[in-house]
Order: sequence, then structure tokens, then C-alpha cells
Amino acid sequence: MAPRERDEAEERERCITGIDGLDNILNGGIPRGNTVLITGSVGTGKTSLCLEFLVHGAIAGENSLYVSVTENSDKLLTNIIPYDFFDRKLIKEGRLVFIDLPVIYDKLGLEKLEFEFEEVNILITAIGNIVDELKIKRLVIDSITSVCYRLKTQENIRDFILKLGAMLSSRGCTSLLVSEISPAEERYSHYGVEEAIADGVVVTGNLERRGDLLRTLQVVKMRGTMHSRAKYVLDLTAVGVLLVPLLKGGSVASAGG
Amino acid sequence: MAVTTEVSEKLRALPEAAAVALRMKAEHYFDVIRAMLDVFATKKSLDSIYVTSTIPSTSIINALDVLEIPLDHIWFVDCISQIMMSAGQKHGHAIYVESPTMLENIMLKVEYLIRRTADRKNLVIIDSINSLAIHNNTKILSEFLHILVNNLRAKEAYTIIFSMEEYETEEIRNMLNLVSDETLQVEGEA
Repeated sequence: MAPRERDEAEERERCITGIDGLDNILNGGIPRGNTVLITGSVGTGKTSLCLEFLVHGAIAGENSLYVSVTENSDKLLTNIIPYDFFDRKLIKEGRLVFIDLPVIYDKLGLEKLEFEFEEVNILITAIGNIVDELKIKRLVIDSITSVCYRLKTQENIRDFILKLGAMLSSRGCTSLLVSEISPAEERYSHYGVEEAIADGVVVTGNLERRGDLLRTLQVVKMRGTMHSRAKYVLDLTAVGVLLVPLLKGGSVASAGG
Repeated sequence: MAVTTEVSEKLRALPEAAAVALRMKAEHYFDVIRAMLDVFATKKSLDSIYVTSTIPSTSIINALDVLEIPLDHIWFVDCISQIMMSAGQKHGHAIYVESPTMLENIMLKVEYLIRRTADRKNLVIIDSINSLAIHNNTKILSEFLHILVNNLRAKEAYTIIFSMEEYETEEIRNMLNLVSDETLQVEGEA
């Protein structure tokens, strides 16, 4: 088989995010089944990006699940109402589902503040059951940092993300895991292991240029596809996340981006 | 009126989705605006996106009101009102960029308005290259225009970049030559 033919044969099916700029950066979308870390400091657009990914999925007929760890789902819903393309019917018809993780903890009797190996397995099995039952094809956990907080050791965190990723990938479910980092952190995740295990890493940030603060996005890793590694400026609008290339102009000074 | 006729006729002779540098004297400013927004855009059924970094959008809106030009298909990206720290009222047909130095945000707002007016083709006016050059160095401004113009061309939008003769430099002329398909000179009455 000629190399080009082989490339085409090996081309993985894409999960089109519906965010035009991001799909262009990713050469057509996220390879289906990938587990992608969406990482950045507060106010950089992580949650908006994830919500839009799910809403577009639900519109395209892919059942989508948002697992909220820290914020109440009802409060989150108020944030997606301004989207022109959002329709509450998606929720009523079960194509877009919101679940609060603390509710799952309660149902599973996971009351300990510190999870061991056994609890990690119980949690992953529970998420797997929900994915199967609701036929979920897109999943967001916001945030994985808050889940990892209970896992304490790097071994447990590695084990959790590896098992979670494998479980979701085997079901053809493309997932975004939100990771919170402080602007000063030089790595892409709070515990330092999430970025190595995830199939992809998308970094959102703030970039200060001559007193102006720009929201930025950069795909630093994505297995299974060629992609741009350049930095883009993003805007959160009623028509969704918009992206344009960051202008260089020979005068850029980075600060926390 | 002669300037309005001259400019609207020159614009109508342009190919589809052209990018044009429009060189004019400051005295012809409002006649040129009338030619573009009232005559050219109306005849071509275009939605106009007016990027202003020269004067606040409210000043242009007031002028349009005097000229009896309806705002229905005109939208503003105002890059100057916020930097002036004026407590002026926000207008429903204007969206605001904090500063003319936030060139990426100008591109994003233009993109946003193009998506919102998706049922009609667009005319995008940059008013003006001279005022943008006050706030930005030539390198970044050239990069901005290059990306913006090519993006608009791909979307089949017309781009018109104002340049005031009185404030034109050699660098600005070179920049405009690089990014635009044509340069139109507003002669005015002989």
C-alpha cells in the first residue's frame, strides 16, 4: 500500500466539535474516542468551550453528558441560554444531560474525602454505566482537578485517568476533562500527570500585550491527527466560541498565557 | 453630491469581493460614507460592518440620522469609544472593542457580525488605516490587514479601507498596496 493510501486508511473518524476555528486547528475535529485535557486558569473560557462542544454534539444527534463537580448544573444552564443555537428541547429529549458528581458520590456511598483504589474503580464503573445507559458519545467532566483532589497520590490519579480514558474510548465516547491551573503554573495540569496521560491537551490562557488582556487557545497535543500548535485569540459570543490567529507583530510579551 | 456619485460609481465598477483602499481628503469624509452606505450597499443589498477607530460610532450614527440613512443593515465595531472613557450610551447597532490596539478582537467582532448577518453579503469598512496606525506599529497592522482582508475575501465580502491623504505616510501607502486589489482616489469636484 502506498504511504498516502495507508494514511487515508488509517485516518481516524473525527468528532466534529462544531467550533469552526477549533475544528480547523484540529484538521477536522477531535479523533473520536480521545480523552482531551482542557486546561487553563480561571476566566479563560474552558467551561464555555466544553458546553459548546456538548450542545453541538446534541444538535448533531450525539447524546452528550456534562458532569459537574463543583458548580450546580442549574446555575450552569443559565450560562448556555445566551447561545443562539441552544434549544432547551435538547435537554428535554435527553440528548444533553447534566449530572452533578456529588449526587453520584451520594448514591454510591462514596463519602470519604480520600479515595483509594477501590473507590476509583467504583466511580469509573458508575460513569461507564451512565455512558452505556444514556448512549453518551460526548462527555465533559468539569473539573477533573476537583475529582483528583480526592485521589491524593499521583499513582491513583494516573490510574483513574488511564482507566477512565480507556473505558470511554472503548465506547467511542469523546471526552473533555477540564483542568484548572493557576496562571503561574508552568505545567499544563495541577498534578502534572493528567497532561501526560490524556490523548490531547488544549490550553486556554490570558495573554497581556501592552496592557491589553487577550483570551488565548493553543492545542499543544492531540494524538491521532495533525494539528496547528499556534496560539489563537478567542472570543465567547452568542454564536459560540470564535477564534482568530494571534498576531505576532514583533511586539508580543507573554504573561500567564 | 458630486463626490457621492463619483465614489458610488467607482465602487459599482468593482469586481465581487474586492478589497479596496479608498484615498480621500478629510473634507469628503461624509460624502464618501453616504456613497458607500446609502448608495452602494443599498443597491447591492449588502449588510455593512463599519469598523471605526477614527470617531465614535455615535457620531457617525448621528450623521447618518441627519443624512436620513436608515441603520437597519449597518453595524458598527467601535474601537474608540471605550478608550475615550466617555460615558456615552451604548447603541444597539454597535459592539465595542476596548482599544484600537486589540486588533484580534476587531477581527473577532467582524466575524461575529458576519455570522449574525449570514443571509446577506457584507461590506466591511475600515475607518481608517491612519487612525489604526496611531495605535499600532506597521508590522502588526500589516499582519492584521493581511489576515482580515484574505478572510473577508474568502467570505465574499467587500473590504474598503479608508486612508486620509493628509495623514498618509509612505509606510501606509505600501501597506495598502500590499493588501488591496485596487486603490480608488476620491477626486472631488474639479
